Amino acid sequence: MKWLELVQVAGATLIAAVTVVVLYSLGVRLTAIAGDVSGRKPVWVRPLAIVCFALCGLAVMFGLYLIIPYFSK
Amino acid sequence: MVALVISLALFFDFTNGFHDTANAMATPIATGAIKPKTAVALAAVLNLVGAYLSTEVAKTVSGGIIKEGSDGIQITPEIIFAGLMGAILWNMITWLKGLPSSSSHALFGGLIGAAIAGIGIHSINFESLIQKVILPAIFAPIIAGGVAYLCTKLAYALTSRHDPESGSKLTQKRGGFRTGQIFTSSLVALAHGTNDAQKTMGIITLVLISAGLQQPGSGPQLWVITTCALAIAIGTYSGGWRIIRTMGSGLTDVKPAQGFAAESSTASAILASSHLGFALSTTQVASGSVIGSGIGRRGTTVQWGTAGKIALGWLFTLPAAGIVGALTALLVKTGVVGVIIAAVAGTAAVTYMFLHSKKSRVGHHNAVEVEEAGQAVQFRKKKKAAAASRAKDEATSGVEHEPVVSGVEHEPVVSGVKDEQKDGPS
Repeated sequence: MKWLELVQVAGATLIAAVTVVVLYSLGVRLTAIAGDVSGRKPVWVRPLAIVCFALCGLAVMFGLYLIIPYFSK
Repeated sequence: MVALVISLALFFDFTNGFHDTANAMATPIATGAIKPKTAVALAAVLNLVGAYLSTEVAKTVSGGIIKEGSDGIQITPEIIFAGLMGAILWNMITWLKGLPSSSSHALFGGLIGAAIAGIGIHSINFESLIQKVILPAIFAPIIAGGVAYLCTKLAYALTSRHDPESGSKLTQKRGGFRTGQIFTSSLVALAHGTNDAQKTMGIITLVLISAGLQQPGSGPQLWVITTCALAIAIGTYSGGWRIIRTMGSGLTDVKPAQGFAAESSTASAILASSHLGFALSTTQVASGSVIGSGIGRRGTTVQWGTAGKIALGWLFTLPAAGIVGALTALLVKTGVVGVIIAAVAGTAAVTYMFLHSKKSRVGHHNAVEVEEAGQAVQFRKKKKAAAASRAKDEATSGVEHEPVVSGVEHEPVVSGVKDEQKDGPS
């Protein structure tokens, strides 16, 4: 039935987009904190930002991996 | 006849490409993330790649809407010819108007119209039509819009910064999203390749099957995939500046964070449905996302007038392309002379519209246009810069180097940025 597939599409879209956006936003936020001129900030902020961006990239790659038939077969 | 239809199909693919460049690249161009020309080139390359990635949609098109094969009605290349004619003409008209209408629906509409006129109403697989075209058409933009709304909210919530003591707003520093847009818009272009290039592949496969050159039920052949990928890439590269303008500034004033959210949603939606073989409209998904992200950001107004105009265009796409397809089918039925008349008339119409577009492109430089540009001044400027650089080939001096400092994006910036831009190139 197509309704099920429609729900699948909706779910996949939601999960994928939210994952990417949340990770990237966190990265942006942390970069912003790391770039602040004034105020104390922990050392781990910038590395964590990079980790966020990297995870975001990984999520995208994983999505592509799932879709491209060449890999998933 | 088969060769004629294939070349027509490739031309449709080309129009599809330049019609839909906007979907991927309107928002990054609007926010200044990528320079217009670079954006279009990037989109072209990724469309090319995307076309190779997945051929699920091609199978839907070639095996779905119209009953083919031994048990169904024999569809002839003539019918497909007529259908393509309808699709191309409607694509050209909407492009001229700058409406981001669906190339897919134009294609389906044309085919359906042609099949009804040429064979009869029983030739249409209505169940498949509703499930694979109508339902996705209604739900895809809603899904994409809803997700984009949510993502925009999230993106802004996660990056809004306040001073913990005074509670006043800190510098938001959302410039990072501008870089991110380069990636998300690339994904959209890739997704476009996996969905839209497929439609032409499906058509050509349908022609080959109907002419008895290919087994019914088999997927597209490699040379078909390659030529389709190339056609859509070239089409994308030639750029549909008119629709880019509508998408990038007409619907809502797009900020990088919004653009990022909208593009993530668009790409996810299209890739997910391509994977399941839904031939949905890239255009509608992208428009849905842009509107959704517009609602998601506080203080943004969505221009519902423009949105309504676009929705109206969507409603008309199926029937309008269908009528042109049907008329062509009737003409083609009369024999070889009819085919020639249809081909000549179609070419003439396309040429006329192309020339007409040249005429009004010059008009973009006049003063009225600038006044109308209203709030989205930044984008107009870029577009004109692109047009000017194409015209004169050396206008690159000041205009291309737009000062896109990341700080530009703070909330209360509006007035300052605008003034700076109004004295731009005129």
